[in-house]
Amino acid sequence: MRHLINANVNGRERELSVKSNQTLLEVLRDDLRLKGTREGCSVGVCGSCTVLVDGKPVSSCLMLASNAEGKEVLTIEGLGQAGNLDPVQQAFLDHQAFQCGFCTPGMIMAVKGLLNENAKPDEAEVRDYLSGNICRCGTYVEVMAAIEDLTAKP
Amino acid sequence: MSAVGSSTPRVDGDAKVRGAAQYTADIELAGMLHAKALRSPHPHAKLVGIDVSKAAALPGVIAIVTRDDLEGLNPYYGAVVEDQPVLAMDRVRCVGDIVVAVAAEEREIAEEAVELIEVEYEPLPAVFDVVESARAGAPIIHEERFETQAAIFREQLNLNAGGNVCSVFRAGDGDVDAGFAEADEIFENTYRMPPVQHGHIEPHVATAVWESPGRLLVHTPCQNAVGLQEQLARIFNIPESGVRVVVPHVGGGYGGKTHARLEPVTALLARKAGRPVQWVLTREEVFLTGRRYGAFVRMKTGFKRDGRLVAREVDVFYDLGAYALSGPANAKTGSYVASGPYRVPNRRLTTYAVYTNLPPAGPYRGVGVPHVAWAYESEMDRIARHLGMDPVELRLKNLLQEGDVFVTGESLVSVGISDCLRQVASGIGWRGREEQSNGAREGSLRRGKGLAVIMKSTTTPTASAASVRLNGDGSVMLLTSSTEMGQGVRTCLAQIVADRLGMPVERVTVSAPDTDVTPYDKSTSSSRTTFHMGNAALRAAEEVREQLLEAGAQGLEVDKADLELGADGVRVKGVPDRGLTVPQLLRVKYGDSVGSIFGSSNFQVKGGLDPKTGKGKAAAFWFFSACGAEVEVDVETGKVRVLNVATSVDVGKAINPLQCWLQNEGSMLEALGAAFFEEMVFEQGQPVNGTLLEYMLPSMQDHPERFQSLLVETPHPEGPFGAKGVGEAVIPAVVPAIGNAVANALGGLNVTELPLRPERIVAALAEREASTR
Repeated sequence: MRHLINANVNGRERELSVKSNQTLLEVLRDDLRLKGTREGCSVGVCGSCTVLVDGKPVSSCLMLASNAEGKEVLTIEGLGQAGNLDPVQQAFLDHQAFQCGFCTPGMIMAVKGLLNENAKPDEAEVRDYLSGNICRCGTYVEVMAAIEDLTAKP
Repeated sequence: MSAVGSSTPRVDGDAKVRGAAQYTADIELAGMLHAKALRSPHPHAKLVGIDVSKAAALPGVIAIVTRDDLEGLNPYYGAVVEDQPVLAMDRVRCVGDIVVAVAAEEREIAEEAVELIEVEYEPLPAVFDVVESARAGAPIIHEERFETQAAIFREQLNLNAGGNVCSVFRAGDGDVDAGFAEADEIFENTYRMPPVQHGHIEPHVATAVWESPGRLLVHTPCQNAVGLQEQLARIFNIPESGVRVVVPHVGGGYGGKTHARLEPVTALLARKAGRPVQWVLTREEVFLTGRRYGAFVRMKTGFKRDGRLVAREVDVFYDLGAYALSGPANAKTGSYVASGPYRVPNRRLTTYAVYTNLPPAGPYRGVGVPHVAWAYESEMDRIARHLGMDPVELRLKNLLQEGDVFVTGESLVSVGISDCLRQVASGIGWRGREEQSNGAREGSLRRGKGLAVIMKSTTTPTASAASVRLNGDGSVMLLTSSTEMGQGVRTCLAQIVADRLGMPVERVTVSAPDTDVTPYDKSTSSSRTTFHMGNAALRAAEEVREQLLEAGAQGLEVDKADLELGADGVRVKGVPDRGLTVPQLLRVKYGDSVGSIFGSSNFQVKGGLDPKTGKGKAAAFWFFSACGAEVEVDVETGKVRVLNVATSVDVGKAINPLQCWLQNEGSMLEALGAAFFEEMVFEQGQPVNGTLLEYMLPSMQDHPERFQSLLVETPHPEGPFGAKGVGEAVIPAVVPAIGNAVANALGGLNVTELPLRPERIVAALAEREASTR
């Protein structure tokens, strides 16, 4: 069974035909071919599929696409592009806060969500907020440094 | 300007932060189908019958493969022993063994089709414990043995042990019985290390298409493109040149993607379907596909009252699971270092690689070493406590030194281990002997510090080849089959080439592995790439450099020795405005300013051990590392907080210090997971915690409050710029350092089974209390 939904994806209003059991992740990857959002665990615990829905981080592997009706969805592709990176992306580059890069888009979107909610998180808040984004390469010190850098700026 | 030794930013950084880096699952080929497998629910069973008729009738199902589709092919493959069937043949040997695979127009259809397949099994007796499995009378898991094709393994491993013991490796020297007789004291203990997940966030995945009957193209995040090419060619009876393996970006490997896992089945499906097939494993399937060996270690140590080790006897049983992969080679890697990085005059070291009816294991960062290091470094602290000696002093007294002859008979070079130990001791504020008794305490909280040191070989003998192409515009391509999986190999190799050609790193592009184009490499494993591929890249760049200098000498009519390479070409030393650009050099060389200059090298390290004597050259180079940790244990809850971790590795030379830091941070964090909570649990061969909901990976919350990655640089005479390797160097030291810190916090309470879960610590405390009452 399919539904037509309207959602804003990366700044563009779209009418999407989605299956009732289709996740937002599947629509993003399979239908819109936004491959920067990635599946790691399919149960909402690794964080690599994190996108922002109305500014808040969501595990897109758990959210049904039909629930995106009327919402704004932001993926890594909509955040910044070559030569025009978002400050979070730039901070990740400056601090080399990634290795294999698979979890990186999800991690960056989660940091974006954190800073939307809390402009000056302390270290404990950062660790708590990002504990649902797993980096098996273990590049956490650098992510924390990137956030510290972002929040230190006036 | 020197590219080597600087923390050059990653060459793949921009693509990764934009989400633009392409991983295998991001690839879509025209007409691509999706795969799903039916897996065995039994740990050991005869395969009586398979009925796929209902599944085949489902609209959208394009191909179904079973053992019948292997007719005329070579159905068995494996890196060391050809024991793994592409699809189950006469029997299944573990839960998760692939029995049938389906390719369909959509993932959902493939999933539905799998539900419609009927399989009849006849359960067989199974064995899960590695020690039990090694005993005579255990249910036999492989009735026949399939000889390896690889001569190096036939010649250098003992593969005819019998029963479920796939291989045995023995190393030793001196007179062990006399050594124990001479000892003032003898300690004997056993240790266990459970299986754990590699935990790469990118699951195993492959995309396969047959472009013609003799021409297979596979995209896969494989750490070993050439090895996979060889195996696929053999399975399908086609020349190696008929198989093209391309490796896109890799979302973490840690050893888990070194060997063929799902590629043979995906290729078989694509062959039958006549269309491209992509198979992405679910996380549950990843749990059934690979893991680190569990192991049981028995260790007996004789020592003198002054702390000198005089004899050691070690037996290690590595649990391979149902298939060997590189298990026998990895078990060998554990054998000769089983007595630790110490001078022990008399030793008998034996490792057994043993099949069980658990899902297959495989190499994981550190391969066979974490298991033995957990045992020998726990023992060192026990001995120190018993003798009332400072554990640092005890280790320094026994540690190997530059030039020592090792148990394998080879002389050791680049042995910075004492410096590694001193660095981490200083990094955690080690105060000496009192650390074993006087930790800070507050309420139910007890603080403790612990240390550990390790050594590890890199796989030997091996070879790596590379080509460097200088284009007419002065840009450079390095062609290499080394896999970038996050460890920074492309950046490191670009630095080496740029340094030798005197140009900026940005001008060097490093290829992805593509077996049509990139030359031979043994594998991106064993932390061998900086040393081996680094040497190949360096020598290939030197060939280009020589040609540039020769053309410059000819064009400028000066002696070659008076020339140097600059960012734009060749110039006369001390006369910066007298030189030739790359296009001008090409004109001198070829008569026209088009074309390219090509250099190539095949870097080979000979060696290996005689399996009868355990003697020879075990390693092209040796890793030495140390870890120090400070923890706080709550004796009421058993919960441990990690306050400080310092690691130190003798890297020979840090080509990129930041990437070294990141590798050590990753090793440390993976080891913290294994120290405190990571453990794959099976009941009667069935996975109990086979999803990331039940099996936790370390998060930012688990990161120690403080972490330092320290480096020692004892140049290796054969390393590129003196470099050795770093990727897995420190991981085996972390778990015992944590264990020793916990033991010291608890006044000498060693827990010998991992992980150090709160309930295990509480139980050990209760047991001690009961026994002292």
